[in-house]
Amino acid sequence: MSDAVIKLINVRRFYLVGDFVVKALDGVTLTINKGSFTAIMGPSGSGKSTIMNLIGCLDTATSGYIEIDGELTNDLNESELAFIRNQKIGFVFQQFNLLGRLNALENVMTPMVYANYSSRERRDRAEEMLIKVGLKDRMKHLPNELSGGQKQRVAIARALVNNPAILLADEPTGALDSKTGDQIMTLFESLNDEGKTIVFVTHDRALGMRCKEQVYIHDGRIADQDVFRKF
Amino acid sequence: MFFENFKLALKSMWTNKMRTFLSLLGIVIGVGSVVAILNLGQSANDSIMESMEVGGLDMVNVIPSGWSREATFDEEFSQNFLVNIMGIKDVVATVSSTANVRYGQERLSTSISGVTSDFFEVNKLSLLDGEFFTATDNINRRQVVILGSDVAEELFPAGGAVGKYISIFRTQSKRYLVLGVLEEKDATLGASYNNGIFIPFNTYIQRFRKTSQVSSYTIQVEDGFDATKVADDIDEYLSSITDSDTYTIFSPAQLVDMANQIMTTFSSFLAAIAAISLLVGGIGIMNIMLVSVVERTREIGIRKALGATPKVIRGQFLVESITLTITGGLIGILFGWLISYLIVQYAGWALHFSWLAVILAMAFSTFVGVFFGWYPAMKASKLDPIQALSYE
Repeated sequence: MSDAVIKLINVRRFYLVGDFVVKALDGVTLTINKGSFTAIMGPSGSGKSTIMNLIGCLDTATSGYIEIDGELTNDLNESELAFIRNQKIGFVFQQFNLLGRLNALENVMTPMVYANYSSRERRDRAEEMLIKVGLKDRMKHLPNELSGGQKQRVAIARALVNNPAILLADEPTGALDSKTGDQIMTLFESLNDEGKTIVFVTHDRALGMRCKEQVYIHDGRIADQDVFRKF
Repeated sequence: MFFENFKLALKSMWTNKMRTFLSLLGIVIGVGSVVAILNLGQSANDSIMESMEVGGLDMVNVIPSGWSREATFDEEFSQNFLVNIMGIKDVVATVSSTANVRYGQERLSTSISGVTSDFFEVNKLSLLDGEFFTATDNINRRQVVILGSDVAEELFPAGGAVGKYISIFRTQSKRYLVLGVLEEKDATLGASYNNGIFIPFNTYIQRFRKTSQVSSYTIQVEDGFDATKVADDIDEYLSSITDSDTYTIFSPAQLVDMANQIMTTFSSFLAAIAAISLLVGGIGIMNIMLVSVVERTREIGIRKALGATPKVIRGQFLVESITLTITGGLIGILFGWLISYLIVQYAGWALHFSWLAVILAMAFSTFVGVFFGWYPAMKASKLDPIQALSYE
């Protein structure tokens, strides 16, 4: 499929814990298209975090084939994976993961530092992103001076700043109250409307249902929706 | 990128001010010692050289023990030096004793020396006023005198000594014409020119006091010859013709050698302190950097997720440890400078500010930063991003 931005074919990820092999993912085949808004759902321990780590190039598969925005990632070394993360993936985490000693603007500029933009470009683009997520007045604030929702907006601005192919969100509303969570969800929806591909990892069924597509993971495999309903 | 890392490093140092300060102490002391060694070594050396050069490093003094009956030292004897020892340019014999001098109501007791006319040149003396006596004055045994600056001041408080006659007493009073007044010059090796008076050698031994005993020989070493070597040769020569307890040899160059040896010992001692403190300081830096890597595990995870390569992370921590040690180096330079300033004040030397010390100190601290920062930085760069991100 020409507009596939993420392709996983028969992906396995096994861990060795002592003498015991943990099969976190056991043969997952999955295609996510450009411009989609896909929820990856499943209970904790199902393997959805492992999928997220593999798509996010934080981890490599034990076997199988992973392609991110046209790049085969199986045999890449750490530096090459870092480059893909920097250029093609925008992470949004449950715990925001802002750098505490940097203000909002500096946080948003960080991915561009690694992409070797000039400081002028970094500033201009980071400001643009912060305005886009509605934080025009909070640019010089440190993370501990921001509310949870504002922190997550900074994180989203940071994820968008290098214009990645994929926005990868891991329980992005998990640490927020429902009203703020709803606002963040609305922000994701509007970003998707602008054409951004979003992969949304969650164990929350209601949130997952707000996404356009759903993928259910159970025991390291993709389960069909009917099976999933039983849980 | 480097600039970003540098800013980050300063930020993190500032956040942990006390910790930064304590972890830098080793470097500060180490670098401070290096700077102090070099500043002090150079200052001491300058000061010794300066005081020696006043007397002249190209000179050797031979002082006979006057009461020795076996040895005869006279002016003719001095010619033997020239014949028997390589590297001697000139030998000036001096006879001296004390005398009372008077001008008008002013009188004082002073040392009087009979010298040949080249004495002044060999000893690098210059005139404040008037002129030196000549070789002809010496041959003619003229009753002329050159006054040391202190003597001139005491006898002629109002100045204008040149052209006046002063009286010099030994067994009888004789009038001497003042030809010149010496410029003030600091004493070297106990010989002070300021409170002495100088008359021609022949005038001394034939008119002032009949004697064949020379008080000292000032031997000027030829250019390109080592004064210490010549002094040794003189010693060897003299001991072959007389007992070694009948003379004493002084050479400023020998004293410089001795002073240099003392400085070398002192420097090695301080260098050992510096090496140990730099080592301990470096270990302190490594320790604090390892703590910092652990504390910032999550930050490292975040940065890796945002696209920092292992090399970038390693660079960040290396820049941080180098920034730390260079800061320590800068404080150390100030500290070393302060120590050398205090010691120099106490010793009365002129402070020599050694740029070499600054360059060495900066090189040392950078080296310590790289060497001891490498392992923590490698450790940080190798962290697994997933584990680092879930680190609490």
